[in-house]
Amino acid sequence: WEVLGPSAHVSALEMAADGGSSSLQLPCVFSPKSRQFLALCAQDGRLRIWNTDSKTLHQEYVPSAHLSATCTCIAWGPCRTVKEGPQRKKRKSEAVQVEEKADLLAMGTAAGTVLIYSTAKGALHCTLDGAHSGGVNCVQWHPEESLLYSGSDDTNIVEWDLQTGKTRSKWKADRAAVTSLCVSPDGKLLLSAGHIIKMWDLDTKEVYRKFTGHSTAVTTLRFATTRPPDSNGLYFLSGAAHDRLLSVWQVREDGKDKNSVVSFTLTDEPQHIDLVTSNSKEEAVRLAVVCKDGQLHLFEHFLNGPCKKPLSPSCTVQMSDTKESPMPIPLLAAVLGADTRTVMLAYGSHLQPVMEKVVSLLKETEIHDVKTPIVNAKSKVLVPGLPGHQAPLKGTSQGSEKRKKDTDTKEMSIAERLGEIDLSTISEKGASKGTASLQTDNFAVLLVQGLESNDASILNKVFQTRKDMVIKKTVARLPLSAVLPLVEEVTYTFVLSYRASLMVRWLKAVLMHHTSYLASLPDLVTQLGVLYHVIESRVKMFHKLTKLHGKLYLLMTQVSANICSAASFKSVFEDYSLTSQELSLSHKERMSLSSPHFCSYTPGSCEKSLHVVSKHLMTALRAPGDRFCKTELDFVLFSV
Amino acid sequence: MASFKPTKIQVYPKLGEKVTQDTLYWKNYKAPVQIKEFGAVTSIDFSPVTPHNFAVTAFTRIHIYGPFSQEPVKSFTRFKDTAYCGRFRSDGQLLVAGCEDSVVRLFDVSGKVALRLFKGHTKAVHLTDFTSDRYQILTGSDDYTCRLWDIPNATELTTYREHTDYIRCGVTSKLNRDLFITGSYDHTVKLFDARVEKSVITMDHGQPVESVLLYPSEGLLVSAGGRHVKVWDLLKGGQPLVSLKNHHKTVTSLALSSNGQRLLSASLDRHVKVYSTTNYKVVHNFDYAASILSLALAPDDESIVVGMTNSILSIKHRKNQEDSKEIAGQQRRRPSYRVFVKGKNYVPKQDDYLVSKPVKEHLAKYDKQLRRFNVSKALDTALETWIRFRKPEITMAVIKELDRRGTLKNALAGRDERGLSQLLNFLIGNFVDARFTPVLVTAAEMILDIYQSIIGQSPLVDRQLLRLQDLVEKELDYQKELLEVLGMLDTMFASSLPRKEVPCSGIGKSNGLTQGEPTTLDWV
Repeated sequence: WEVLGPSAHVSALEMAADGGSSSLQLPCVFSPKSRQFLALCAQDGRLRIWNTDSKTLHQEYVPSAHLSATCTCIAWGPCRTVKEGPQRKKRKSEAVQVEEKADLLAMGTAAGTVLIYSTAKGALHCTLDGAHSGGVNCVQWHPEESLLYSGSDDTNIVEWDLQTGKTRSKWKADRAAVTSLCVSPDGKLLLSAGHIIKMWDLDTKEVYRKFTGHSTAVTTLRFATTRPPDSNGLYFLSGAAHDRLLSVWQVREDGKDKNSVVSFTLTDEPQHIDLVTSNSKEEAVRLAVVCKDGQLHLFEHFLNGPCKKPLSPSCTVQMSDTKESPMPIPLLAAVLGADTRTVMLAYGSHLQPVMEKVVSLLKETEIHDVKTPIVNAKSKVLVPGLPGHQAPLKGTSQGSEKRKKDTDTKEMSIAERLGEIDLSTISEKGASKGTASLQTDNFAVLLVQGLESNDASILNKVFQTRKDMVIKKTVARLPLSAVLPLVEEVTYTFVLSYRASLMVRWLKAVLMHHTSYLASLPDLVTQLGVLYHVIESRVKMFHKLTKLHGKLYLLMTQVSANICSAASFKSVFEDYSLTSQELSLSHKERMSLSSPHFCSYTPGSCEKSLHVVSKHLMTALRAPGDRFCKTELDFVLFSV
Repeated sequence: MASFKPTKIQVYPKLGEKVTQDTLYWKNYKAPVQIKEFGAVTSIDFSPVTPHNFAVTAFTRIHIYGPFSQEPVKSFTRFKDTAYCGRFRSDGQLLVAGCEDSVVRLFDVSGKVALRLFKGHTKAVHLTDFTSDRYQILTGSDDYTCRLWDIPNATELTTYREHTDYIRCGVTSKLNRDLFITGSYDHTVKLFDARVEKSVITMDHGQPVESVLLYPSEGLLVSAGGRHVKVWDLLKGGQPLVSLKNHHKTVTSLALSSNGQRLLSASLDRHVKVYSTTNYKVVHNFDYAASILSLALAPDDESIVVGMTNSILSIKHRKNQEDSKEIAGQQRRRPSYRVFVKGKNYVPKQDDYLVSKPVKEHLAKYDKQLRRFNVSKALDTALETWIRFRKPEITMAVIKELDRRGTLKNALAGRDERGLSQLLNFLIGNFVDARFTPVLVTAAEMILDIYQSIIGQSPLVDRQLLRLQDLVEKELDYQKELLEVLGMLDTMFASSLPRKEVPCSGIGKSNGLTQGEPTTLDWV
C-alpha cells in the first residue's frame, strides 16, 4: 500500500474522518447447503431469486408495500423436505428421505413486519407483524425448530413461532437498536448486537455473556465453531460498520473474554460473509468475506487461542472487465464450496448479477494442476494485494461453465483466450526486452519512496532481494535524482554491517547502469570517497586471508580424506594390488601406530611425524606406479 | 613491578547513526502512552495556559486531556456528526469546533453544552480558530467560503468567497487581529486582511494544502500539502523561501518546537520529521505505527502528541532530567560504598600537611596474569564468556599484546578440546569484523600450525574448522567482489579526473573521454 498515490490517501483520510453514518447495503443471500438459489433484494423492494445452476431468474416477487416498507434483511430458512407443500411446517426427519430443498425465506422490512416467502409455492407464505414498532434490522432462523428471531430498531428481539404465526416471546435486548443476530449451531444460544454484543441463553432468555469493543453498529455476527460453550472452544466473529476488522471472540469458561482473540484485516467494511465452521481444534475455519469495496478476501485460520497480530487474507479477489483499462466489478456475495477449492461468486449489478463457480483460489500449487486455464471473457482475477495493477495472475483460472443467458459479454474463442494468456506470461518473463515486470516496477517506486523519507523498513524490504534480475531492473528504472541517495545509503550499510554481500550487488548495478551519470558529476571523488575508503580497508587483508584459506582447505581435505581412508584403507590397498614389501611393512607400521596416534591429544614430535607419514603415504597410494610415488615411499620409510 | 604497563584496550569508534545534539534531545522521551480514541484523530490543540491541557478531536467527540492524565478530564460529545478542528482561545477558556453538519459550536471549557452555535455554512467546517482580539471566530468550510463571526451575538461578519475548492486549514495571526491565512484544496494559500475584505497575498503551493503554520514572529509561513512542505516569506510578499520533500506520502500536519528552532512535519507515511529552521535539513526522524493525521507539541517540548488514522493517540512525555540522574546515582552506590569512600573526598585546606601516598594501581585480572607471565591463563581470562561476547575488544587487545611479546604461540598451545573449541568459537564470531581480522588471521594461522596434527580426532573441532573455512571462503568471495567494485571506481575516478583539465587541453580530448565511458561498461 506504499505505492498508492497521494490522492488515494487523501480520500482515505476523508473516509477515516467522516465517522459512522450507516450506509445502504442491499441484502443478498445464497440458499443453504446446495447453494442452488441466490436471493437478492433490490432498491425498489423487489425480491429476485436466481438459480445459480442455470444462471437464470427463478422467481420474482414484489411485496405489496415494496416502496413504503423496503426489505432490509433476508434469511433462508433451514432446508426441509418439500413434500406436501408449505402446510406442513414441522419437519419430520423420520419421514421418507426426499431431497431437502431450501424453501422458506424470511424478509425483514423497514416497517417492522417480517414476510415469509415460500419458493416452493412461489408466493407469500405468511406475514408476521404486530410486534415491532421500528424497522427490522435482522432475521435469523432457528436451526431445528420452526422458530424465527428478529431484531429491530425498537431495541427488542422477537421470537416468532412459525406454526402459529404469533410471537412466542419478546424482550428488550439493548439500549440501542438491535442490528445483528445469530443463533448458535446447536440452537441453544443467541447472539445479539447493538453496540454491545450480548449472548443470550435461549431457554431462559437471560444474558449469558456480554462482549464490548465495537464503537460502531455491529453488522455481522457468525458462530465460527460448533463446540459447546463450556469447553473454551466456542468462537464467534463480529464485524461492524466502518470497521475494517473482523473480530473473533472466544467464549471462555472463566469469563475472561473481555477482548477479541483474533482479528482479520479487510480492505473495507464487511458486506457479506460466509464461513465453514470448524468442529474440532484440528480443523481450520474457512472464511470468505466480501467487502464494501467489492473485493473478496479468503481466510483460513485455526481457532486455538489468542493471536496478537491481525491476520491478513490468504487470498484476495477483485473482478474486472477486460477492456484496455480494466474497471473493477464489485462482488456482491461469495460462498465457500463443500470442498476446499471452490468458491461461488456473485458479481455485477443487482439487477443482473453474474454467478460463477471459481476453482482453487486458496492454494497456488493447486492452480497449476488445472489443465486448461480459461480466462473468462468478462472477468479476470488480479494479482492478490495489488489493486489497480494491470497484469493478470498467470495461473488463476476459473472453471466457468458456458452460460446460456450471458448478460452482454461477447464470447471469445479458445484461441483468443489462449493468446491472451500467452501474452501475459511473455510480458512477465520477457525481461530481456526490457518490458515492465510488475515486481521491479514496484521495487523502484518503493526504493525511491524509502530513500525520500529514509524509511528503514521499506529500504530493508527492498535491499533483501536476492534476485540479480530484480536488482538490475530496479536500478535501471531508478530516477537520476535517487542515484546519489542510494549510493549514500549503500555506503552507510557498508560501514555498519559486517557482511553486506547483498549490498555489493546493488552497488555494482548502480555503477554499471549509471556510469555516465556518475562520471559526469564534478565532485565524484568526494561523493564516492568514503565508499572507496571503506571498501579499501576491508580488502586489505585479502592476501593473508587467501593464504589462510589455502591452509585450511588443505587441512580439511586431509581430514575428510583421513576419515574416508581410515575406513577403506585396506580396500585401497587391494585395489591397487601393491605387493611391495616396503608398502606392506609401512602399512603394518601405520596400522599399528595409528591407534595411539588417534587417541592422543597433546601434540608431540612422534605423533606429528607419524601424521606426516600417513599423509605422504596416502598421496603415494593415490598415484601408484609413479616415480614420484617411489620417492615418497622412501621418504615414508625413512621417517618411520 | 611498578613499571608494568597495563594492556591498552583500543577504543573503536561506535558505528552507526551519528549522534548529534538533536538526536540526544529528541530521543530523550519516555515510551509513548497510547490511548484508543473512537475514530481517526483529526486534530490536537494545546491550551495556551498552564497546565496546558490538550483537546483531541476524534470522530464525534472532543476529549480534553491533562498533561499527564491518561483519561480525558473533560469531553464534549454533543456533536451530531464528525467533529473537526477543536481549538482553544488564547486565554484557554473557550473552545471552538467545526462539524460535518456545517454548524460551528463554541464551548466553555468548564461547561458541557455549546454556548453559541454559528449556522451559515452549507457544508462541513474543517477550520475554526479565534482571532487575536478574542471576540471573533474564523471558520473555513467545504462550501469554498471562509467567514468571520462575532462571538457575543453569534452573527456572521464577513464572507470570503475567493477559494475555489475545500478550505481545510488555516491560522489566525497572533499579533494582528485582522490578519488570517487559509489553505485550500485549490492549491493556494491566501492571506486575508479583514480591513480590506479581500485577500492580500496569494501563494501557490502546487498541491492541495493540508496544513499551514505561522512562525511566532509571523514573518514566515509554512504550508504542507502533497508530499511537500514549503516555507514562504510573508514580509517579501509571499516569496517562496524553501521547498522540502522528505516524505513519500501526503504531509498532514505541522508543528514548531516551542523555541522556534525546529520544525516538525507529520505525514501519512507514518513518519514525523524534525527540521532545523536554520538550514532546513532533517535532523531527526520519528516512526509511528500508522498514518499520522495530527501532531502537536506541548510548550517547552514537554510532550509530543500524535493522532493516527487507526484512532490511536500516542503521547510521548519528556524524560525528567533530575529523575534519571538520581536513579543513576543510586545504582552506583553499593553497601560498601561508605567504607571505601571514607575520607577520600576530603579536600585539604591550606594549612594541612600533606603526606603523599602512592596511588595503588588497579590491574585487570588478565593484566595481573600477564605480569606474572602466565600467558596461557591470561588468554583464558580474556576468553571468559562475558568478555568474549560483551567486550571482544579486550580479548583482541590481549591477543595483540601476546603477539607483540611473541608468546602467542605458547598461549594458544596445550589446550584441550573445550579450550580449543572456545578459541575457535571466538575466531568464528569475530573473524569477519574488519577491525579484528588482521590479528585474528595471525592467531588462526598459529592455531592451525599447532593443532594440525590432531585434526580429525574431535568431531567438534572439525566442525568448527569447517565452519571457519566456510566463513573464510565467503569472506573471500565477498572481498573479491569488493575488489571488482574498487576496480570500477578506479576507472570512474580515472575518467572523471582529467575532466578538470579539459579546458586547457582542448575539445578533442573531452570527446575521447565520453567515448571511453562505454568501455568501462564492457569491462565491468
